[in-house]
Amino acid sequence: MRLLALILHTVREVAAKATLWVLVGISTVILLVIALGFSTDTTADGVVLQIFGHATTPPLERSQLEQAVATMQAGLAGGLMTGVFLFGIFATAGIIPEALEKGIVDLYLSKPIARWELLAGKSLGAVAVILVNIVYFIGALWLVVGLKAGIWSLQLLLSPLLMTFVFACLYSIVTVLAVATRNMGIVIIGAFLYLIVVGAALESRAQGLYLLSGSAVYRSVVDGLFYIFPQIAGMQNQIALLILKQQVDWVPFAQSFASSCAIFGAAAALLQRKDF
Amino acid sequence: MIALSSTSLSKTYRNGFLNQRPVRALEDFSLEVESGQIFSLLGPNGAGKTTFIKILLSLARPSTGSAIILGENLPSTRVRTRIGYLPENHRYPGYLTGEQVLRLFGQLSGVPHAAVETRITPLLKMVGMDQWRTMKVKKYSKGMLQRIGLAQALINEPELIFLDEPTDGVDPVGRKEIRDILRNLKEQGKTVFLNSHLLSEVELVSDRVAILDKGKLLKTGTVDELTTTGSRYQIGFVPPLPESFRLEAAALVLQISYAPEALTGELKSTQELNRLIDLLRKHGVELTSITRQRSTLEESFLNLLKREVPA
Repeated sequence: MRLLALILHTVREVAAKATLWVLVGISTVILLVIALGFSTDTTADGVVLQIFGHATTPPLERSQLEQAVATMQAGLAGGLMTGVFLFGIFATAGIIPEALEKGIVDLYLSKPIARWELLAGKSLGAVAVILVNIVYFIGALWLVVGLKAGIWSLQLLLSPLLMTFVFACLYSIVTVLAVATRNMGIVIIGAFLYLIVVGAALESRAQGLYLLSGSAVYRSVVDGLFYIFPQIAGMQNQIALLILKQQVDWVPFAQSFASSCAIFGAAAALLQRKDF
Repeated sequence: MIALSSTSLSKTYRNGFLNQRPVRALEDFSLEVESGQIFSLLGPNGAGKTTFIKILLSLARPSTGSAIILGENLPSTRVRTRIGYLPENHRYPGYLTGEQVLRLFGQLSGVPHAAVETRITPLLKMVGMDQWRTMKVKKYSKGMLQRIGLAQALINEPELIFLDEPTDGVDPVGRKEIRDILRNLKEQGKTVFLNSHLLSEVELVSDRVAILDKGKLLKTGTVDELTTTGSRYQIGFVPPLPESFRLEAAALVLQISYAPEALTGELKSTQELNRLIDLLRKHGVELTSITRQRSTLEESFLNLLKREVPA
């Protein structure tokens, strides 16, 4: 009950910020463009995909059409993921530092709430907001494409859960940074740095970081870091494969789950030691 | 019955990033507060008052020592269901209304939804905020925030209430209302633990007072015990006062001061008082009153702090 109250309160807190509504607005504009511009034209040779009346493909057979639509959906979903993660971090990075500010943290922790519970409630609330956003965009995309092309992709419909899972993993890093620094700016920079630079470099370490040194110790350290942190880029790639109806490797999800739990545990332990 | 007790509590903070300088906020602090009392903790800024409350609420960890609240050893999450707290400089989410603040903190206190709903209106009425219940708290004045904060601290019907500067920013009428609320809580058998620098306020409501300075407990007692200066008496008379009386009185009383229609003397005993009265009578002075002098809590507090400061 207390955890649920914290989650709902956090959802409300994020909803009170303009950043979230900018993201919703951008998503809505993209959806409107797709709804108005995307169409199919059935000819004797097959189905042609059209954007604002202009054919973008030759006449396609049913299986080719499904593949083309899946590619479009994967591209849009990938773009959405990046957009949601960036905007999502902006909109939610301040939640924990604000909750730990003097005058607010006293109110929370004077209630019968364990510190880990406060952290969990705030983190889950942030993740819940992102889930709603992703479901809104992907659900609408699924509906528009289904109505216009007659292709109802179950894989696309499943992807919001996985995307939200990836955001939750990313949020474990936000959480530990927020507890350690209590500074929203540092949290945003740190999360972006991880998302755009560190995570991507670790994911493609064979083409980049490995080339910096041939030392076995160095490679072990790089590999260790890769497994310690959530594999955001790796999971994003697997979600694209899911939408494209290809074989999905679940290992990055399992490893990221374990590492995110450990990082969240570290954040909770750190918070437990703090004096307010 | 003891509502809270602390035994040899000490707290040392570390200041600075690299060269961490220890700061002693609380030192060997032992205190007992009985149930059903209004207890006030007084001290100058930085004396350790808020640190003590924060340790009791597990917002800070003691360096050494222990404490028991409502029969439970600290730290305890469960005991906080029976505690209310109004922190100093509290901040509520600006997008919530007063009513929503109470709902949120009621839920966080573990109060069932139906009970929260039934308590909101009486509490808002009690603190005089019913008419502003739907206004967003970001539009509230300091006094309104204090009132809603007090209601928030009471939403779980606590047995023990910690109030840190509850009348801060509240107008005189509001302060009187808050004092009445505190007395009412006491009548209901609740224990109120007050941190305040408004000594005149404390004097009006407190059963017992403890004075703290530089993390150390200086004195504890009832307001009467702390404000009665022992042997200072004021004697009113009809002037004139003969000069011969003054000469004889100087030999009898160590410290004596004169006003046109009264004299004030520092007397060692009631026998000395009676000798002074006899002397006045002997000189044919007509007496109008005899009053045992009390200092205000503020005077006692300042005197106590002065004594602690080395010359």
